[in-house]
Amino acid sequence: MSNSPLMKTFAETDIVDALIIGSGAGGAPLAAELARNGKSVVVLEAGPAFPATGHTPDEVAARELYWLHERLSAGTNPQAFGGNNSGTGLGGSMLHYGAFMPRMDARDFHLHTETGKGVDWPFGLDELLPYIERVESFIGVSGPAHYPWDPERRYAYPPPPANSAALKMREGCDALGLRHADGPAALITRDIEQPHFGTRHACANCGACHQGCRNGAKSGTDNTWLPMAVAYGAELRPGCFAHTIERDSSGRVTGVVYRQNGVEHRQKCASLVLAAGAVETPRLLLTNGLANNSGQVGQNYMTHVSTQVWGEFDEDIRPNRGYPSLTITEDMMRPKDADFVGGYLVQSLGMMPATWGQNLARSTTTRGPAFARALAGYNRSAGMGINGECLPRPENRVTLSDEKDAFGIPKPLIEHSYGPNEWAMHHHAARLLTQMWEAVGAKDIRVIDRAAHMIGTCRMGTDADSNVVNPVGRSFDIDNLWISDHSIFPSAAAANPALAIMALSLRTAEAMLKV
Amino acid sequence: MSHPPDRPEILDSDHLSTRTREILTSRLSVSTAQPRTLSLRAYAILDALLPVLLPLDEILPDSTDIAMTVRIDAALSGPRDGWRFADLPPDAEAWESALLTLDDVAAEQHGLAFIHLAPDLRGALLDAVMDGQIGLEHDGRLTASQMKRWSGDLRGEVVDCIMSDPRIQQALGISSSLTGGDTVFQGFTNVGPDSRESFEPKATAPLLQMADSSE
Repeated sequence: MSNSPLMKTFAETDIVDALIIGSGAGGAPLAAELARNGKSVVVLEAGPAFPATGHTPDEVAARELYWLHERLSAGTNPQAFGGNNSGTGLGGSMLHYGAFMPRMDARDFHLHTETGKGVDWPFGLDELLPYIERVESFIGVSGPAHYPWDPERRYAYPPPPANSAALKMREGCDALGLRHADGPAALITRDIEQPHFGTRHACANCGACHQGCRNGAKSGTDNTWLPMAVAYGAELRPGCFAHTIERDSSGRVTGVVYRQNGVEHRQKCASLVLAAGAVETPRLLLTNGLANNSGQVGQNYMTHVSTQVWGEFDEDIRPNRGYPSLTITEDMMRPKDADFVGGYLVQSLGMMPATWGQNLARSTTTRGPAFARALAGYNRSAGMGINGECLPRPENRVTLSDEKDAFGIPKPLIEHSYGPNEWAMHHHAARLLTQMWEAVGAKDIRVIDRAAHMIGTCRMGTDADSNVVNPVGRSFDIDNLWISDHSIFPSAAAANPALAIMALSLRTAEAMLKV
Repeated sequence: MSHPPDRPEILDSDHLSTRTREILTSRLSVSTAQPRTLSLRAYAILDALLPVLLPLDEILPDSTDIAMTVRIDAALSGPRDGWRFADLPPDAEAWESALLTLDDVAAEQHGLAFIHLAPDLRGALLDAVMDGQIGLEHDGRLTASQMKRWSGDLRGEVVDCIMSDPRIQQALGISSSLTGGDTVFQGFTNVGPDSRESFEPKATAPLLQMADSSE
């Protein structure tokens, strides 16, 4: 927020119109929209304010961008947190996200109607599309002139250059007769003046998107929505860990208690918005015993099936260079030979070395000189990965563990197990991507079984008995409590979640303005 | 093809930010005093385990010691990555218990402490851990399924330590730290195959010399 004017501040005794917990994709657009419409807004962010110029491509140090309050991961597919799902700091997970920004497929809103499995959203793409287009236009998204799966679509910025992995995936698609394109990437490819922020520079192809963008090219909330919110009078409070939600005798929310620099503070509010993500949002509700008449808080935790397939090439690939995941194919959104419902997106993958090495280390048991040689193959490696539908399942959920954290609050326990649909999709993708790499001469092909992102736990729907919030994100149980993040997604869909989270955030803001 | 010097050339590149340079440089000199996290016994077991898991003699010259054991022990007391497997105790405790489990099993099977086993026996024990075949069912030790889980954490920690080391990055020709300097954020101009830019390191690791010479 380098060029923002002096930020307005509120007293803790002020009853702000909206108190928002979380400054990422869920909280920031809503904060900006409410502030722009004259509402008094305070945003509590647990993490610090990171200056963009201080980001480092060093992967170990860059973990400062991850949510570091410990989570316990269980189930038959215990999920890794941190990278690819859980951020901290002003900007939330969008500080470290990969900026891959496909739109949700229209069919994914109605998976249950289509297949009898999964859950429908309470509306379709036509309802969300105007918000999606507003988000894309405001934050800046690059993409191809012609998008093969949606000829009407336009992107404001041309794509960044294709790196080695992107070029190799194009060859692999051609070999198997699949369509491919430069994927939508939330980054700008020419310098601009971002309203309320200042200069954002064109992407320099540095490849360290996941470690934080140093020149403002990547479209986060820290260089778009948050400065806009501040310009319209919102206050951002970093370093504030919210833990207690206070209510009056009628059950309505009156304020939030949070800890800042070891001291407890209380902020009063007329309405509260939880935008803390699919683990921390239900954790807050569960620890406070709130908004759970449906019994659905924490239930139906979902991820994306995110199988990766890597190979080694004869050329010097240097997978750290360039935008990491440029090439996309949407041809697997409903593959004809599928033995699963839903579909998946395929993207090319470059990767930073420690992240790549972690994947290698955890997906094999090789050791000794063979392990050293495998790691030494970094510069010759290229990957492809998928993001695919993950069905809601009752055994996948967020609950409170018996262990307490440093604040004395139970650590969250996340149970995550693949069902038959996820395994079928994983195997389908593993076969296809392996064929693609074999077709273009890759060697030492390695399949990595992994899940990414976090979705669900506070389902949105029309029926108060089986949903936590209504179709605009308002709690069925407490009328001045709203949720604006991916925890309200009824189904996972295949697309990376950031775009839909931001679109829903604007839509929820609109609903709040009508109250 | 020369060996990487004690101070890797990438540290002097103007494509490195001051902060990144400081982070990488801090890994060159680590205190080798007392272990910070592990007991002396567990520390010694880890020290004997790492060379059979990931020998570096084909990557770095023999004289180079990147102090992996010290750095991993220290990392276990530093900021972690925000999650752990629910069926393992907190990281520091898990590592201590896992390493002592390994030692107890070595004594049981071979009548020797782990650190006194020949490398091939140490390797065989590690293989058995990764296969989920070794564990103990009493307090302060890990079961076979816990040991298998922990072996993934062990492998991941080792890779973090290796791939974030500037000497290794130099030896493997990795340019990932060189995203841009403080005043000029250069990024990369060339991003396609076989297009190394002049500021990017060439691999010096013995095991990569044959491949690199084909450039």
